[in-house]
Amino acid sequence: MNDREAELISRCQQGDQDALKEIFNQYHKKVYRIAYGVVRHREDALDVVQEVFIKLFRSIKNFKGKSAFYTYLYRLAMNTAIDHSRKAKRTTFLSLDEEGSFQPSDGHEKRPDHIAARKELEEKVRWAIDQLPQDQKATMIYREIEELSYQEIAEAMGCSVGTVMSRLHYGRKKLKDLLKDIVKGREGE
Amino acid sequence: MKDSCSSISQIMERYFDRQATDEERTLVERHLPDCPVCHERLRLLEGLREAIKTPVDEALKEETFPWMWEKIEKGIRLERRSSWWESLRSWLDLSPLLRKKVWIPVVATAVVLLFITAQIILKKTPSYPGASVVEYVESDTHNVMIYQLEKPEITVIWIFEDPDEEAAVS
Repeated sequence: MNDREAELISRCQQGDQDALKEIFNQYHKKVYRIAYGVVRHREDALDVVQEVFIKLFRSIKNFKGKSAFYTYLYRLAMNTAIDHSRKAKRTTFLSLDEEGSFQPSDGHEKRPDHIAARKELEEKVRWAIDQLPQDQKATMIYREIEELSYQEIAEAMGCSVGTVMSRLHYGRKKLKDLLKDIVKGREGE
Repeated sequence: MKDSCSSISQIMERYFDRQATDEERTLVERHLPDCPVCHERLRLLEGLREAIKTPVDEALKEETFPWMWEKIEKGIRLERRSSWWESLRSWLDLSPLLRKKVWIPVVATAVVLLFITAQIILKKTPSYPGASVVEYVESDTHNVMIYQLEKPEITVIWIFEDPDEEAAVS
């Protein structure tokens, strides 16, 4: 942790919202990547980002600086996203049953074929990731999306490097089986 | 000497994750060109990462985070307001006292105090039910009070000999 970050955290611990804004500007994209990696839905991921920074402002007093700040923040983001995903799961299945198919949530992608292909891929990946135990899921997202080192993942999850490697190995094995068609299909692209 | 696939597979994931030592990296890179099986294994790992990561990268590229900071500020404001209200409510809330049954000894004490107080007050005022004062005479040595009862017809003469002593004659 550099001096600037330590100062921001200290100000934030005293209730300074400008300091929180600076932390937000620095980290919101990383938090979004973790959130999106878990929930795989734009609006849900944005909700998670919002919730994470509100929670951070409330709980930052508990941060004692024993670990790196970003691992503290990533852990908060991961737990919030997993909770959100668990709560949203029933609603998502309900809306799928009612609508019969996915509708794009925004107007970013205009080509219908692109939207359909992407939605299908997103849904399959989300379904496969949801099949993993929570610890494997978090480890996979930290590594595959955020590209944290084994040591950083171990710190964020409060476990050993050996456990991280084991979770990655079994997580990948299961995902390769579940996403066989997608993984092989993408190789030929 | 050609390294076996089984020994390479043990370090393949570390190599893929760029967590292998220099020695392990050299070992894998020497093995890969001659081994289609391990080469395929590596391509599967890459394919999996791409399937997980690419949609996230694309989503982030397109994201504008509309009004995100304003929403966070609003959330913090609402939380502060609700915590102020919660603390006021908990301050006013008597239910924990009622739950703990503190009220039982409190009410019992109040009843006992009321009873004792009533006794003291009533004792200081001599009276007869249905009696009315018909005469009251004061002097230096004695004070005399005459009551008249309706049923039965009885006259009570109350003589105060001393401020501390009283005598009643009927």
